[in-house]
Amino acid sequence: MQDQILTWITFLPLLGMGLILLIPKTSLNLIKGVSLAATFVPMVLSTWLYFGGFKHLTPGDFDQARMAGDILASQFVQRVPWIDSIGVEYYVGVDGLSIALVWLTTILLFIGVIASFGMEKAGKAYYALLLMLEVGISGVFVSLDLFLFYVFWEIMLLPMYFLIGIWGGPRREYAAIKFFLYTLAGSVLMLIAIVALRLDSGTFSIPKLTELAAQGKLLGANLPAAGELLGMKFTTWVFWFLFVGFAIKVPVFPFHTWLPDAHVEAPTPISVILAGILLKLGGYGMLRACFPFAPSAFHEFAYVLAILGVISIVYGAFVALGQTDFKKMVAYSSVSHMGYVLLGMGAFTVWGMEGAVLQMFNHGTSSAALFLIVGVIYDRAHHRDLNAFGGMSQIMPRYWALTTLGFFAALGLPGLAGFVSEALTLIGAYQAGDARFRTLVFISLLGVVFTAAFLLWAMQRVFLGQKNPKYLDFEEINFRELVCQAPLLFLCILFGILPAYLLDWMHPSVQNLLAILGGKA
Amino acid sequence: MNPYLEGLRGIQPEIVMTITALAALVFDLLLKGRESRRVGYLTLTGLALTSWFLLGQWSEAAPRTVFGMVAVDQFGNFFKLFTVAALAMVVLLVMHDHREREHGVGEYYFLLLGASLGIFFMVSTNNLLLMVLGFELLSLASYSLAGFHKGDRKSAEAAMKYVIFGGLATGIMLYGISLLYGLTGTIDLAKMGASDGGLVAQLAQSPVPVGIAMVLILAGFAYKVSVAPFHFWTPDVYEGAPTPVTTFLAVGSKAAGFGVMLRFLGAIFLRPGVADSVAAYGDRIGLLLAILAAITMTLGNFAALRQSSLKRMLAYSSIAHAGYVLIGVSCMTEAGFSAALYYLAAYYFMNLGAFGFLLYFEGVNGNDSVDSLKGMGFKAPLISIVMVAFLVSLTGLPPTVGFYGKYLLFVEGVNQGLYWLVVVAALNSVVSLFYYLRVAKALFLAKPADREAAPAPVLTGFVTAFGVATVGLGIYITPLRAWAERSLDVLRG
Repeated sequence: MQDQILTWITFLPLLGMGLILLIPKTSLNLIKGVSLAATFVPMVLSTWLYFGGFKHLTPGDFDQARMAGDILASQFVQRVPWIDSIGVEYYVGVDGLSIALVWLTTILLFIGVIASFGMEKAGKAYYALLLMLEVGISGVFVSLDLFLFYVFWEIMLLPMYFLIGIWGGPRREYAAIKFFLYTLAGSVLMLIAIVALRLDSGTFSIPKLTELAAQGKLLGANLPAAGELLGMKFTTWVFWFLFVGFAIKVPVFPFHTWLPDAHVEAPTPISVILAGILLKLGGYGMLRACFPFAPSAFHEFAYVLAILGVISIVYGAFVALGQTDFKKMVAYSSVSHMGYVLLGMGAFTVWGMEGAVLQMFNHGTSSAALFLIVGVIYDRAHHRDLNAFGGMSQIMPRYWALTTLGFFAALGLPGLAGFVSEALTLIGAYQAGDARFRTLVFISLLGVVFTAAFLLWAMQRVFLGQKNPKYLDFEEINFRELVCQAPLLFLCILFGILPAYLLDWMHPSVQNLLAILGGKA
Repeated sequence: MNPYLEGLRGIQPEIVMTITALAALVFDLLLKGRESRRVGYLTLTGLALTSWFLLGQWSEAAPRTVFGMVAVDQFGNFFKLFTVAALAMVVLLVMHDHREREHGVGEYYFLLLGASLGIFFMVSTNNLLLMVLGFELLSLASYSLAGFHKGDRKSAEAAMKYVIFGGLATGIMLYGISLLYGLTGTIDLAKMGASDGGLVAQLAQSPVPVGIAMVLILAGFAYKVSVAPFHFWTPDVYEGAPTPVTTFLAVGSKAAGFGVMLRFLGAIFLRPGVADSVAAYGDRIGLLLAILAAITMTLGNFAALRQSSLKRMLAYSSIAHAGYVLIGVSCMTEAGFSAALYYLAAYYFMNLGAFGFLLYFEGVNGNDSVDSLKGMGFKAPLISIVMVAFLVSLTGLPPTVGFYGKYLLFVEGVNQGLYWLVVVAALNSVVSLFYYLRVAKALFLAKPADREAAPAPVLTGFVTAFGVATVGLGIYITPLRAWAERSLDVLRG
């Protein structure tokens, strides 16, 4: 069982999807029950995996694992041949980088299912697609075979397209196809890079490729024109092809334009999943399958990545300031917050890198909470115009309290999760010991100010001031909505006070990654 | 054994096919138009028997040549089995096409079988004469098939266009062949590229005459598989022809065209012991094909973006797919050819399925526009969901057979240093997603339609089976790939 636990976590939702397809669509309660079970069990399993099963490794363990051929020291590994003729394996495992994200995935999908209970239109097809989406996401996080990774990566696209396209807002068709086209444009480039990596090394195994790259044996002379192509080193081409594929997903400026559209049109639970986990796939992908394969190109362009990160931070926050649509504002705040991830990675210090990974998790909880908050008020008012509310704190005081907590977590108030990760990335970038990076840190502080501004301003417009007489009869946040939000906000507080419960898990793997990339670990 | 009997054993499948064709014609006359489905069953029985003989030949180890002309080998067998499988599906489509009752069904099957017989001969010979004969047999039967709905103006126009274009293309090809014969003194492909063959001497003098001959011959093949700039007939003929015929042209005839192209190029340039100068010349032809591949897929995909008719969209998409297959051909390596074969097999599953879907909705809606599919996904859920699988596979996303096909093509492209072509192909699949998704969008993203879709259980069953194969073979990849690999044994000599 323990050897296969990742397979269970990944494929139980698929089993649930199969069951749902067999249930007649009139038995909606049964369908809901199956979806709940099919997301609940993986959540329980991954929680056990996180707190119980996962071993904290020492540097000695990493040395041993390296000798044994797995430079990443993955745990709960399962390895079965899949396509023999080209050496593709079903090869899964988790390490410090992925374990927290697997856990987050299962939590958010479970919450996503509960949040969907409020949607009247959601039926059989909706829950089936939601479960298929979970398979794709979990699959990407646990894959240690590049081919498998790509297959899971693409499996996500179709359910997401339909979830936005069928159950979304007025411009859903446009948003859905934009999402699909952007992501595919990135991922076909990734595919070419993957093909090149495979041909050069003869393997799809991510640990093996990482090891070869660390030894400088990857992308050597095994391919035609492997030295230089159109005046750029071949390694650099591979790096950018992979990077753009992941950057579109993050999304990094200037590839971010699909995100506001997708978020605004998507139904609340889908926005939660989109912001909470789908964006993390980009950041995770860079750490797992981009930087380690082309370390030299990474070092060459680390500063460019950091600049892109800072642009995202400042630009995202600045644009959020100008929004009148509540959801669009939160969407742009995601662009801004994910910028820290890139800044931290570009800085290439222990703190920066850890901050980046931590920020991915923390943004996952706080942005998911924010989208749920938007959903609550949208369900009542059926619009999201920030200027049309007012005085909601008196009408829905409990909702206001939760919102305040969520907003403060997002703007990085000390004591809440966002503060720790943002501070880590900024300090990490400062430590990079370079005037250029210090300048970037100062610029990104502008983003912090803008973030506080747009959140507090939104708070003021929606919750404070004169009560809007139209909305006096709004009912207080209900039990189902509370059940969705409470765990996320709890995690925001918990990891704000005890970030060690995340950092201790990540730290060994981050150290290891820095050593692999050949840095100042 | 008597060499004559041995020869007859070699062409057993062809003999069975001929008998079936004649029997279908006679049987229809005897039935006097009643119970015309029985002719279909007769044809299917004949096809089953043919494939039984083909499978028997498949397991024979050594390739051989009978009557000095017909090559019995795995390569030809691959395309023959392919054709039989495609034809069987087309026959099933004919039997479930509501429009076909009005026409002489016996001739329909006779012509389809005749066309397939042409394919059988053209893909299994190294002799240019027999190749042309098979090519012409296929073409003539296809012309009549395209115009089979005599009263329908579009169908008549399609046949006319096809004849004129086809006649021109065959003429050009024949001219090239006669040049090649004049230059090398042989019509046996196997002898041309050998180190003592005529090609070496010619290339030593000047590559220009050989180049002219090659370009003219390839133009003839390019017309058959609708590679730009010889694709102009495709959309009109595909649109005007009855849908089962379109299916046959898009799948069977196109694959056969590639079969001939691969055998022609393979027999001359990839044979073991080929002279260096000839092999180097092959690489230059590969580059020409690579350029054509890029143009073809880009043109096909961008033209498909603007189509409002699903049938025309599939026609342009088939042009684009010819471009993808051409990547494998242009590599001019065994692995490239094997990737092309695999992609053709993948193309068979996803395209036949898509055409089955088209035929079903032509019956439901009375027309083939994408708009008329709006909201029908909720009325005929199974076939529509399966269609999404075909669309995903045609785009080239995992876990489908189309993705793996594209992957293999990319691998060999990168391996041969054709990076630019691979990038063009990858970006093309993004473009193609846009129009494939239009179908999915019409089916599911609109409000449920207020009309009902009459169920067609048998047709839905076929299409679903193809959907299962499209996804299943994308997960369990080995058998199809082994099949494609084995077909190329003949190149290894």
